[in-house]
Amino acid sequence: MSATDDAATGAEDAPLLDIEDAQTYYGESHVLQGVSLSVDRGETVALVGRNGVGKTTTLRTALQLTPPRTGTVRVGGVDVTGDPTHEVATRGLGWIPEDRRMFEQLTVDENVRVAVTDTDAVDAKRELAYEAFPDLRELRDRKTGNLSGGQQQMVAIARGLVGDNDLLLVDEPSEGLAPQIVEAVAEALRTVAEDAAMLLVEQNFPLAMDLADRFYLMDGGKIVHEDTTEGVTSDDEMIRRYLGT
Amino acid sequence: MIDAVAALGPAAPGTLAQVDAGTVVSVLVDGLSKAAIYVMIAAGLTLIFGLMGVLNFAHGSLTMLGAYAGGLVLVVAISSGSGALTRLAVFFAAVVAVFAALTAVGAALEVTLVRPLYDRPPLYQILLTFGLTLIFDEFARMVVEFYGLQPRSAWQEAVGTKPEFLAESNAYDVAGAPVVGLDLFEIVLGVVTVAAIWGFLTRTRYGLYIRAGSEDAEMAEALGINIRRAFTVVFGVGVGVAGAAGVLLAWDTAWGASVPLGAETLLPAFVVVIIGGLGTFRGTVLAALLVGMVDGLMTYVFNSGIVEFPGLPELTVFLTLVVMLIVRPQGLAGVEEVGGH
Repeated sequence: MSATDDAATGAEDAPLLDIEDAQTYYGESHVLQGVSLSVDRGETVALVGRNGVGKTTTLRTALQLTPPRTGTVRVGGVDVTGDPTHEVATRGLGWIPEDRRMFEQLTVDENVRVAVTDTDAVDAKRELAYEAFPDLRELRDRKTGNLSGGQQQMVAIARGLVGDNDLLLVDEPSEGLAPQIVEAVAEALRTVAEDAAMLLVEQNFPLAMDLADRFYLMDGGKIVHEDTTEGVTSDDEMIRRYLGT
Repeated sequence: MIDAVAALGPAAPGTLAQVDAGTVVSVLVDGLSKAAIYVMIAAGLTLIFGLMGVLNFAHGSLTMLGAYAGGLVLVVAISSGSGALTRLAVFFAAVVAVFAALTAVGAALEVTLVRPLYDRPPLYQILLTFGLTLIFDEFARMVVEFYGLQPRSAWQEAVGTKPEFLAESNAYDVAGAPVVGLDLFEIVLGVVTVAAIWGFLTRTRYGLYIRAGSEDAEMAEALGINIRRAFTVVFGVGVGVAGAAGVLLAWDTAWGASVPLGAETLLPAFVVVIIGGLGTFRGTVLAALLVGMVDGLMTYVFNSGIVEFPGLPELTVFLTLVVMLIVRPQGLAGVEEVGGH
């Protein structure tokens, strides 16, 4: 990473994330069939579509957890295609994954601390997380395996918050949560969206449109439509066709 | 066996009357010293499995190599005229040297041989590490025979480098029980080993990374943690601890540096790791205590003249494993799924 830093710093105005014609496979299964999308600084972008069209794979491709076989992923203008995931992550990409992926044997506090990338500022970052999510302060010594789904989601978002991320990849944050908890999670996402851009995969279409500025519609491993979210509802003809609502 | 069970020892006048304070102390010291050995030979195995899901079948052979390497340092540096302090100093120097050397060996093994197999089914890693065991054992046998030593029996010259106050022949009277200095020494080293690893895992940032990576390596990687490097560090340190334990065994008459030491330590190490719950360090510590105490107690029962059959204590160690697998298959401190990626 260090040797290429100068050459690969990227332009200040380059998109935070720029995926170009990504073709991604799981074994022989061709999942992403030429996905191109970009997220700029400060915006929240939704990625919507039915189950199994490749939304989660798009996030995994961005992080190089499942690198594309062909195509390019740039973070802040720097080509990261094929780089190790931890290097991509330290370039400012945070992941708030589906099912929250808690370290269940670790406490809330440890889950938050492990996500701090600036090791000189662990205490300050942790304090930042507890200020943003005061409920977590009381739970700090509890193992996250013993928390409710909503509480775990807060920890997952807090991990994204403390990691010095420019862009958060958020996957199904409302999945499996009760409606009143979903509202709290949405509020938490609005809080972190003040400091970071967001690429949001969300099944709850009204929630996705509420949080996002723009959206991409995916179907069959491709982006089939992109637009701003203004005035878009699930009654929209195209949305109904692709989401089957 | 029937003879053995039937043979009530000559010195068995009133079995219950023998259970006095001295007996309790001697069983306790024996059990704890065995527990200390068990935790030292199993700690590396559990760390490696916990983080990487790799069952290192070469672990015992690496303990064996550590025993010979440590024994070599002891034999070369200690002469018959060396004082107790010199002998202790050389021992600790040997522990440090062997730990460093085997940590390097472990790291090199991980990078060159284990790493290419992470994406393969676990069978590949088992075959690889089992193959390494055969290579290490044959290598040790060749070298040892070249220098005219008997590979199957303990290297007595290394055993004899202990200072007098630790020797088996020199027992202290504690509450009426004869206590061997080496047993106490082993308990101290066991406690130090556990405390050091515990501190590393819970008090350092790298330990936090390892605990997180043990649960979900991919998530840890996505948080910016270089999990491949953590794999190398843990494999190295795990092998280093195995080697350092070997140095201690080179002083212990019950073990001693020998080629079969690898297999002799690998089996109980696996038993302890499985009883504790695969991949949990806390479980391994608890299991070492349990197995050590069972072993110590049975050694007393079966060698004290009530029933004489020296093979039974070892048998009960494996019996403990069988009972554990039936009653609580996930182990003492195990969770349903550990070490999966």
